[in-house]
Amino acid sequence: MRMQLTSPPTSPPALPADPPPRPSSIRRKLSAAACILIASGLPAAARAGAGATTQLDTSLLLYGEQARAKVTEPVVRITRLYSSGQRLSAQLALDVISGASPSGALPSGVISTEVQTRTTPSGNVETIPPPAPDQIPTTTFKDTRVAFDADWTRPLGRFTTTLGGHVSHEKDYQSLGGNAKLSIDVMHRLATITIGGGYNHDQVDPVGGTPVGLTDGSTLLTSDPSKKEVSSALVGISRVLTRRWLVGVAATRAWERGYLTEPYKVLSLLDPTSGLTVGQLTEKRPSTRVRGDIQASSVYHLSRDVLYTSYRYYRDDWSLKSHTIDTKYRHELGGQAYLEPHLRYYTQSAADFYHTALIQGEAIPDYATADYRVGHLQTGTVGATLGFHLFGSPGEWSLRGEYVGQFGESHPNDVTGVQQDFNLFHPLNIATFVAAYSVGF
Amino acid sequence: MSAPSRRLVAAALLLSALAMLNGCAAMNVQPWDRDLLAQKKMSLNPNPMLNAVDDHIYFSKEGSTGGMDVGGGGCGCN
Repeated sequence: MRMQLTSPPTSPPALPADPPPRPSSIRRKLSAAACILIASGLPAAARAGAGATTQLDTSLLLYGEQARAKVTEPVVRITRLYSSGQRLSAQLALDVISGASPSGALPSGVISTEVQTRTTPSGNVETIPPPAPDQIPTTTFKDTRVAFDADWTRPLGRFTTTLGGHVSHEKDYQSLGGNAKLSIDVMHRLATITIGGGYNHDQVDPVGGTPVGLTDGSTLLTSDPSKKEVSSALVGISRVLTRRWLVGVAATRAWERGYLTEPYKVLSLLDPTSGLTVGQLTEKRPSTRVRGDIQASSVYHLSRDVLYTSYRYYRDDWSLKSHTIDTKYRHELGGQAYLEPHLRYYTQSAADFYHTALIQGEAIPDYATADYRVGHLQTGTVGATLGFHLFGSPGEWSLRGEYVGQFGESHPNDVTGVQQDFNLFHPLNIATFVAAYSVGF
Repeated sequence: MSAPSRRLVAAALLLSALAMLNGCAAMNVQPWDRDLLAQKKMSLNPNPMLNAVDDHIYFSKEGSTGGMDVGGGGCGCN
């Protein structure tokens, strides 16, 4: 469930009794006033269809990693708009997930001819061919996630309140949460201050039970679901700087507690000399995590096109820090169509308990993970969205295609022997395609 | 980041926020000048549905989360 910081409302406040003289022409003023009356007097969602009281938004995501996971995600959202300005939304999403992800283990380093079988997190038994000596072990999975979200927005003068909630269900993960947000317009609606908070109560229920961390996995911590709670808070401000320029700054903080370990991830135990794998341990993470981030965003209207930029700095008490730069350029093609190229760059440092592997004979740390997602990592995204209206039919279509590449440490310095010769992080290539359609009626 | 650095960043952000709030008279935008700002595309989040898709993807593939929202999670993908 995400709760967005809103832009400042652009509807005009009461006009001053004696407005200062403006250099603009009478024609421009009348044109602007007409636009304001038409566009900003309505809630944002209604702008897609003038006079609409119901908004339907749908999207379909096709996500594919090269030789790894695949996801199909249809989403339907319906928003009811009331004359009082209130807005009630409900959203249903379905994630169909299958494929494989790295288990955290390292290549065996030996040539094997033995065909093996293994039980997947889905409960299926599968036969796998003998792996190559430098093959990164993966775990296969298959799951379906269903998520339902609802939120209610109510404007009251300069104040706007939003209440939201969500519930989601997967085979081994359930989530129930709610959030609240208050926005206050200040400075004749040139700025909006937003504060908010949220709470999630999640349950992790791994297939086969929850293993004890940093063991061979044969002993269970519990067969019952484990709790994970997330509390979060947001404070932000958005500000109209000029007729063409809107900026925003927001800071969020989240407190997580409970079972934060990935139950299916493992670490290899390496021979200190040869580097061959001699065993593996389940991973274990701390039971608390405090996250914080600050994001600055800008929207700038050029003569016709719009430039969106944002920067986010993130850090948490696992010593993971990241920087994210995101930019989109909306180029108007005419006829209500646009093309929007997108670039994103992300880089993160490793959590302090991240290890590529553990070395046999050395002391086992209190916490350890080999999950690359909390290791040194860079992500690059390049793509574009095409938005258009089909001639003669209502609603707006969006088609987006993107490439996402992830790059980590291919030759980390905390491994031994033969592992130093292997490429331990092959770039992960991801392709995504989204088709979306929005219509008011 | 060290404690002094954190205080410096916090002070810079506070000053930035105050500057944004106060602005300057020359930068004020009168109601009749908000024709461009009234357009749907002139929003910090003009396409919430596509952005939500992105949030979900990056939440599942990276160690960070957050941004201009709150209450993330609700997924066993990370």
